[in-house]
Amino acid sequence: MMSSSLAILPIVIPLTAAAAALLLRRNFRLQAAWAFGAMLTALAASAYLLWTVWSTGRPVIYQMGQWPAPFGITIAADLLSATMGAMVQLVFAFGFIYALGAKDKAVRHPTFYPLFLCLVAGLTGGMLTGDIFNLFVMVELIVISGTVLTAMSDDRYGPEAAYKYFLISTVASFSLLFGIGCLYISYGTLNMADLAARIAADQAPALLPAAIVFLAVTFMIKSAVVPFHFWQPDFHTASPTPVSAMLSSVVVKIGVYGFLRMTTLLTPHADWLRALLVALGIVGIVFGGLGAAGTHNAKRMFAYSTLAQIGFIHVGVGWGTPLSLTAAIVFTFNHALIKSTLLMLSGYLASRAPVKTASFSVLRGTGKYAPLAGVLFFVGGMALAGIPPTNGFISKLTLFESGVQAARSGSVNGTLAYWAPLLLLGVSSIITLVYVFRALMKIWWEPFKPDAPEAKVKPSGDSLLAPSLMIAACIALGIWAQPLLQLAQDASEWIRQPQAYVQAVLGERTGRLK
Amino acid sequence: MLTVPIFACLIGASAGAAFTFIPRIRSIAPRALGWLLAIAPGTAFVAIASQFPRVVEGEALTWRTPWLPALGIEFAFYLDGLSALFGLIVTGIGALVLIYAGYYFTPKHAESGAELLGDASAAVHASHSSTDARFFLYVLLFMTSMLGLVLAGDVITLFLFWEGTSITSFLLIAYKTKDEEARSGAFKALFVTGGGGIALLAGLLFASAISGSTDLTAILRNGDALRSDAWYPVMLGLIAFGAFTKSAQAPFHFWLPGAMTAPTPASAYLHSATMVKAGIYLMARLHPALGNTPMWFWLLIVTGGATMLVGAIIGLRQSDLKSILAYSTVSQLGALMMLTGEEAPSAFKALAIGVLAHALYKGALFMIVGIVDHETGVRDLRRLGNLWRAMPWTFLVCGIAALSMAGLPPLFGFLAKETLLAAGLEDALPLLTRIVLPTITVLTGALMLAQAASLTLDTFVTRPGAGWPASRLGTDDARDKPDLHAHEAPAGMLLGPALLAGLSLAISVLQPEAIVSLLAGAATAAYGAKVKVSLALFHGINLPLILSSIAITLGVVSFALRSPIRGIPGAAALNMNLLYDRVLRGLDGAAGIATRTQAGRIRAYLAVILTALFALVIVFGELWRVFDGAVLPDASRRLLDEPFGLQSALRAFGLLLAVAASFVSIVIRRDLLAIIALGSSGLAVAVVIALEPSPDVALVQAVVDTLTLVVLVLALSRLPRAQRERAEGLNGGDGQKRNALLAVAGGAMVTVLCLYAFASRPRASLVTPYYEQNAKPLTGAADIVGAIVVDFRGFDTMIEITVFSMAGIGVFSLLRYAMKKRETEHLPAQGEVELKVKDRQSWLMPATIRGIDGVRTSPFVRALGYVALPLAFVLAIVQMVYGHDQPGDGFTAGVTLSLGVGFWYVVFGYDEAKRHLRFLRPGLLIGVGILTVMAGSTAPVFLGGGFFSPFDFSAALGLPLPEGFYISTSFLFELAIALVVLGAVIFIIDTLGHPERDLE
Repeated sequence: MMSSSLAILPIVIPLTAAAAALLLRRNFRLQAAWAFGAMLTALAASAYLLWTVWSTGRPVIYQMGQWPAPFGITIAADLLSATMGAMVQLVFAFGFIYALGAKDKAVRHPTFYPLFLCLVAGLTGGMLTGDIFNLFVMVELIVISGTVLTAMSDDRYGPEAAYKYFLISTVASFSLLFGIGCLYISYGTLNMADLAARIAADQAPALLPAAIVFLAVTFMIKSAVVPFHFWQPDFHTASPTPVSAMLSSVVVKIGVYGFLRMTTLLTPHADWLRALLVALGIVGIVFGGLGAAGTHNAKRMFAYSTLAQIGFIHVGVGWGTPLSLTAAIVFTFNHALIKSTLLMLSGYLASRAPVKTASFSVLRGTGKYAPLAGVLFFVGGMALAGIPPTNGFISKLTLFESGVQAARSGSVNGTLAYWAPLLLLGVSSIITLVYVFRALMKIWWEPFKPDAPEAKVKPSGDSLLAPSLMIAACIALGIWAQPLLQLAQDASEWIRQPQAYVQAVLGERTGRLK
Repeated sequence: MLTVPIFACLIGASAGAAFTFIPRIRSIAPRALGWLLAIAPGTAFVAIASQFPRVVEGEALTWRTPWLPALGIEFAFYLDGLSALFGLIVTGIGALVLIYAGYYFTPKHAESGAELLGDASAAVHASHSSTDARFFLYVLLFMTSMLGLVLAGDVITLFLFWEGTSITSFLLIAYKTKDEEARSGAFKALFVTGGGGIALLAGLLFASAISGSTDLTAILRNGDALRSDAWYPVMLGLIAFGAFTKSAQAPFHFWLPGAMTAPTPASAYLHSATMVKAGIYLMARLHPALGNTPMWFWLLIVTGGATMLVGAIIGLRQSDLKSILAYSTVSQLGALMMLTGEEAPSAFKALAIGVLAHALYKGALFMIVGIVDHETGVRDLRRLGNLWRAMPWTFLVCGIAALSMAGLPPLFGFLAKETLLAAGLEDALPLLTRIVLPTITVLTGALMLAQAASLTLDTFVTRPGAGWPASRLGTDDARDKPDLHAHEAPAGMLLGPALLAGLSLAISVLQPEAIVSLLAGAATAAYGAKVKVSLALFHGINLPLILSSIAITLGVVSFALRSPIRGIPGAAALNMNLLYDRVLRGLDGAAGIATRTQAGRIRAYLAVILTALFALVIVFGELWRVFDGAVLPDASRRLLDEPFGLQSALRAFGLLLAVAASFVSIVIRRDLLAIIALGSSGLAVAVVIALEPSPDVALVQAVVDTLTLVVLVLALSRLPRAQRERAEGLNGGDGQKRNALLAVAGGAMVTVLCLYAFASRPRASLVTPYYEQNAKPLTGAADIVGAIVVDFRGFDTMIEITVFSMAGIGVFSLLRYAMKKRETEHLPAQGEVELKVKDRQSWLMPATIRGIDGVRTSPFVRALGYVALPLAFVLAIVQMVYGHDQPGDGFTAGVTLSLGVGFWYVVFGYDEAKRHLRFLRPGLLIGVGILTVMAGSTAPVFLGGGFFSPFDFSAALGLPLPEGFYISTSFLFELAIALVVLGAVIFIIDTLGHPERDLE
């Protein structure tokens, strides 16, 4: 009993804590401490959940209200969900550390921590839930907390960016709702395992293709796949640094998670979806790389770079081989760490800059006064570009390896779908190199020449504790990479056997309703 | 044993890091630091040399440990003859360079490298030594990488270290970070070698995929499989690309001269002796596996030959001492690459000799140039001259090294050139190459001799400006100021070059057995079969000797004619820098285009996204099947079968009303009326739902619609009237047609979906029967919707009320806190392109709202207000208590309450309403509400149920309660929902109704 309720703790803890934090809003320090404590507790719970799932080799399933599946809501932590949930909460824990040391006004706001906790609750819930309508409400929770957190930002473009995000997210919500509706009309159930079993048994319903399209569009908007990405650069630039570090690293991964589930569990038969993912992934890689190279703001640069990195992940998901799925999961995890670190560093620089902005024209040369950030940025940049000994290299290596192996499996002409993306992966790695190191040179190596002669770099800024810890983690995961690789490999093994998931959720009921 | 060298260097690097980053100990003088840190490579040198006897016998030592078992990748080292040769060069020259660098960084002008990559000491006016510790750190890190590269026993291990050398090289080239040229040179090097690195990774992965392992020995063993694989050309191309970029082969050679901005010790070490030979090492290493094919032969021969000639030609035209050396390095690297391509034992013999000879003389010459630069502050050949008096020892060492470079007997360089020529004349080669290659070699040899002579003589002997045509002498050249205040270098500084130059002489004169066997071992390992090496200088009068003398003669002639040759205008076509610039510019141009798509117009964004959505639906959604299936006939039949009665008439009326009202809301100009029209559309929908019959949902729809209307009206009233009127006057602007088209497409899509839904009506939900059967017995609710909302899917409801409350908090946070701080200036739209937004003003209006649209309320309305709120409370309580069984629920209760409260705000105005309703604190309501749900749903866990299980506390406690009333989890839930909804709405209404004055 207690062990299966482990599955809901990572969602329930932050949610409850958010409500309680709302009551503590008169006492800011107490509220912050409470929120951070709750986050750490939730992280411990999700880490324990991951450990339980991984070590027992069985998913942890919780039926809400003890209603038998598929009648109630199922929370299903298989290895993929548990990994993703733990990743989300790990990165969020760092986000909290950053927020505690941040100088933003938005962070001091009495509703900041409740919203931040809701964001993590929604995201974790979205990844752990086994019910597609529950996924919808979790996504709503993500959208509303993300919107408000960004709108509160010190950045004067915050409300505008939040507004754009909210409108485009509304399209995504409609799309998801349509998708769910189509599935419900066709199969009469909302439970993902149940749906998977029924879809596998019968692909005749006329609305199934439309349902796949709607779900795919939702996840594409969520993970900012070009051309559904328009909300992303503004949104991730304008939000307060601790939030933007979360948005660009883990929050976009809800879409990745969705595609991992779709291509393996719900609609593994939709080959076109995989091909589309590879194609749009490539477009994203090129577009994101170019956008990052062309923009004039450090935070925005990393926001664009997320488009490219998500593209890499989608290519891995789209290839769909065991190794490429492993690569996609490893990439997802590592990118979450790397990208949040780099955004935190950009935010740190902005907090030190004479005018609070991450624009290169202001940051130019200010790095002289931020030596530690320079070292961190350098290592983080190496990680983003996939240079050893960082975890970014492990991601790139695994993805390349999967592509090469898949390409080798056929003739040179017959494997265009593998080597053409590989080529572009290579090219975009060089583009990554270009924008990261150009930024480094601009900020740290060029002389500091402010527009206004009296402009001075502020003596102190946000705390560098979180990015330092994360860079250490990036290097550690680059050298001692085997556990994460093994985890990802096991997770990809799990998701390629959807029957086991279905069996675990539905139990012996599997055949009864057919 | 094999890891000892690496660890020695790693320890050295750590020590370097300590000296760099720990302020206490970084004040140590550079000279001492140099000597101290040289212990690390020295140890490594001895460690490799100690394995020498075993290696020479052809034995390969390996050391491995699992690294990424999931990918089958090991971390492995491998030591054979080839590795040993390179390893000894890396560590030996490394030790000398560290000692040399200590002196190089000591005196006056060393402050050029000031900015530590992020060293704060710069700001705290650090002493020179502390900033220079950074140099030692980088060099030691490089040394570790380079050593790891040549000792790697697994191709992935090799790649790890390969990238390490690129990164450390980047840091060293940009050492003088303030210097624009240094930064661009470093970036260029990183761009080229980084790009090559990625290709190399792909190539190595292909190789390991074919041979089934990333292990080097496995790859070397599977040569036949590799060569016969269909992917062989791709794989070889990728690997060669990596090697060519690293080893500065034409046309990628252009980064190497740019890399000369590195401090001279780094140039001596990285950019002549070691790193640039990594590509040569790689190709030699993989030759037994990948070589021996026509592609290999032609690829390497052509690239190497071209590089050799190009480097030599450009080199003669350079005036900067380091540039001359850089281009001659390019030329020599070309020769080595060419040798790797030639399939003969003699070629690999020449390769081994060439690698060592070049490392010795070029390392020495770079250090000499560093000494000249250090002592005079000048590196320009046009300004140097006559230094032999002031620096006799330097002159002597330079002379020896230059003789070796020129390829004159009895120096080692002569041997290198002889064997190079001999390899090019090998009978096994095609006739064409047997003619072309020696010709190129002779030409190159002649040019090298001229450069070596010019380097030495023009620096030390002739007067400044000699050997240069007037056209190449700028006005600022100090021809008439020969006095350079030169001094002889300290002995320690001369130690490195003298030792290297001495070795150049000693090896060829004494021909020590150890060196011979070392070279033989290296050549054998690279060739894959036994290669004999002898270092005899004279083999009788043969073709190579004749060619060599021709080269020497030509060289002397071109040295004599160097002035006119240098006067020939340069050919810009050969300048790869232009291409590089064009590539970067192209990238920036494309980037500009990419960012311009992000122009900040939300309408455009939504249009693209919706178009993409529709496109995907059309292409993959297969909705066209609606036309060929039974859907249409089925739907129309069902429509016709519907018995006509009051209900269907009402239904039709409701639908008609909804459509008409929606349409009116679009075309009507007055905003308030449009909102009301929209509201009536929603109410009409509620009517349709009520007729379904689904009173629960209809009720929710009705109250939500009303609430939306109230909030919108409140929000509208906060907009300045002038702005509203202007907005009402707008024609919608451009894009109206596009928007209409998208709307029609969306409508069509939803219509088709509805048709399908309608057609599949009998296929009822699979879960509904369960709900119907179990709602009453298990949850106590007669009303399925209520049971679903709070019991079966209570968790959804919980999240949704959280969403709702966060929305309320959002409005509150935004308008009350965030907007307070915001300037009211005109902001451009966010995006890459800054748009001009003329008509944006503050949303905030300086007036407290009172009555709708500013109209004062009448006493009658006030009286209504007094009645409405208590009534709303009564209604809400009834709904909460009986909602589980009857239509109505906590949500409706909450909204009803909120409507009552909202009514007060409208009727009485902010101040009065607030005064009367002081007890309604939204934050508290939300917090308590959510916590109540949590408590209510967690409690059953301890009472034998599960999270969100239904549980009747009153029954468990045996409380005597009236019929139909339970204190159960569902009651708590309904109560909580009502609280949360009330809280959230109060947040919104309170914020919107808040008078502006408090914000100032």
